Amino acid sequence: MLRWLTATVALATIAAAFGVTWIKYDTRRLEARLQAQEHQIEKAESDIAILRAELGFLTRPERLDPLARRHLGLQPPSSAQVIRLDDLPKAAKPRAGVTP
Amino acid sequence: MPEATHLTTSDAAGSAAFSARVLLLLLVVLCGLAAIGGQTVRVATSRPSTETIAVSEPIARNWSRPAIVDRNGVLLASDVALPSLYADPKLVIDRDEVVERLRTVLPDLDERDLLRQLGEEGRRFIWIRRGLTPRLAQQVHDLGLPGLAFRKELRRVYPAGQIAPHLLGQVDVDNRGLSGIERFIDTSDLAQPVLAPVVSTRAPVRLTLDVAVQHAVRQEMQAAITRYKARAATAVVMDVRSGALVAAVTLPDFDPGRAAAADEEGRLDRLFGGVYELGSIFKAFTVAMALDGDVVTLDSVFDAREPLQIAGRKIDDYHGQKRKLTTREIFLHSSNIGAGLIALKAGGAYQRQYLDRFGLTGDLVLEGAGVAAPLLPQRWTELETATIAYGHGLAMAPVQFAAASAALVNGGVRIWPSILASGRAQPARPVQVLKADVSRQIRDLMRLNVVDAKGTGRRADVAGLEIGGKTGTADIARNGGYAERAVIASFLAAFPIGQPRYVALVTLFEPQPTIETKAQITAGVNAAPTAGRVIARIAPLLGLRAARTASAP
Repeated sequence: MLRWLTATVALATIAAAFGVTWIKYDTRRLEARLQAQEHQIEKAESDIAILRAELGFLTRPERLDPLARRHLGLQPPSSAQVIRLDDLPKAAKPRAGVTP
Repeated sequence: MPEATHLTTSDAAGSAAFSARVLLLLLVVLCGLAAIGGQTVRVATSRPSTETIAVSEPIARNWSRPAIVDRNGVLLASDVALPSLYADPKLVIDRDEVVERLRTVLPDLDERDLLRQLGEEGRRFIWIRRGLTPRLAQQVHDLGLPGLAFRKELRRVYPAGQIAPHLLGQVDVDNRGLSGIERFIDTSDLAQPVLAPVVSTRAPVRLTLDVAVQHAVRQEMQAAITRYKARAATAVVMDVRSGALVAAVTLPDFDPGRAAAADEEGRLDRLFGGVYELGSIFKAFTVAMALDGDVVTLDSVFDAREPLQIAGRKIDDYHGQKRKLTTREIFLHSSNIGAGLIALKAGGAYQRQYLDRFGLTGDLVLEGAGVAAPLLPQRWTELETATIAYGHGLAMAPVQFAAASAALVNGGVRIWPSILASGRAQPARPVQVLKADVSRQIRDLMRLNVVDAKGTGRRADVAGLEIGGKTGTADIARNGGYAERAVIASFLAAFPIGQPRYVALVTLFEPQPTIETKAQITAGVNAAPTAGRVIARIAPLLGLRAARTASAP
């Protein structure tokens, strides 16, 4: 009886040793993957920051102003060109007997 | 064998004690294993640590800072991780070749300095250029020179260009704020030191500035400097109800990406950091305070035939009317004599009290920007009372004057300006410094000044936009006296004058006589038309439409 117990425990110990080693390596692998992903995120965020800055730079007023004037023939708007919806003449009431 | 068969009591007791010891040992081992097991469970279920270990020598310590945006989110300043070029002299094979080939990519490289540094004994690290664009870095990399390497650093870039460099401020080589909003970011603990160039994840600092309006104002002021041959100019546009500074321009300015190359004139922020006697625009306050206390009415008459003599000094009018003037006419013709008489009638104590209430004598505290403190006269006698009435003897930053002028046109409520969108709101109970009726009278006077054929502000008139304002031409105080023909010409405008939404203060420093201005340098010929052009340009951007004519169907 004792011999079976001893044998089982010995086997369990060996299995546990294998298991611990496997878990250790698996953990390290996952950690490496996590770090690689975090590194990718950081790089992506850095690239986004650069792209946002570049977009802002290309759309800055002192660049667009002369381009709009030269290539699109645009001018700064005057106040007379700004109207509101209430400024529009109201639709005329349909005359009696006339179908639109 | 006799010993083996003799199991004496002591042997039995001995083996029992032996078993007890084994049991105890087993228990201890089990406890130990249980502890390890428990610890394993604890570690497995706890959240992963966010500490990172950066293996880098602290040669370059960076500060990570949030971006700065305008009221609509347009990027004004942001961090980017850019490659910085350095050299290890020990690994450089041919110094001359390296410097020569680098010059093909970086034309403004200081050759002699770099050669000298590369030749220094014992140095293993030399910065060549910090913060290269990725494209330039690639070009340098393609040169294939040994001994060169890159290290990423956080660098501040200003995508909106040369638009408000004084306001935004500068950073030092480690990305720490030195002035302006950048400095504010540091003092508010929003910037943090980092070992790796990680861009900040904090929300950007939002300003009240509108980039489109700022650009328009800056462009018009730049044109005015050229047109009137002025030395410098400032312009500020403020919302009279919220105190938001929509535009704040100081010229000359500098390229924020190359702050070190800025010259002395470009560095000076005249809008916030300089105090000046602003001249006749002050008369608006003088008339307002006199009306508010019923010291005068618009029809009160004052004798402006003779110059005012006080304490051995003479106060005279420029192109004076030399007759009796009503309060209204004093405003319209901008009479110094008249303003002095009004102030003397009100009295120095009364005047001082009102200037305090308007916020013209104390420090203007603006979150995110420092404003130079006003210069008050050391004594406040009759002479000071009279000269302050027309804007001399009291010096302040133009932004402080503009902020105080909101109360003149918005119904008499004192407004505190702000440059940050999250800035302090106006007090829950409005601080009334003028009666609403007096504010209306001032608005009428300002409008009269622009529409009347003899008004000093008539050149600020723009068809369809109801602009009202006051001109001011102040002699510049220099060397204890006043400079010959050197003036600060200003125009204070409010629009639309019926129910003003904004005030604009446009100031030209030392405009010169030109053919166009018929050799005059008064504000009526330079600052007033400039203000008209500025307002005509920004009104549509601010959502103001031209007044509808009566002929609409």
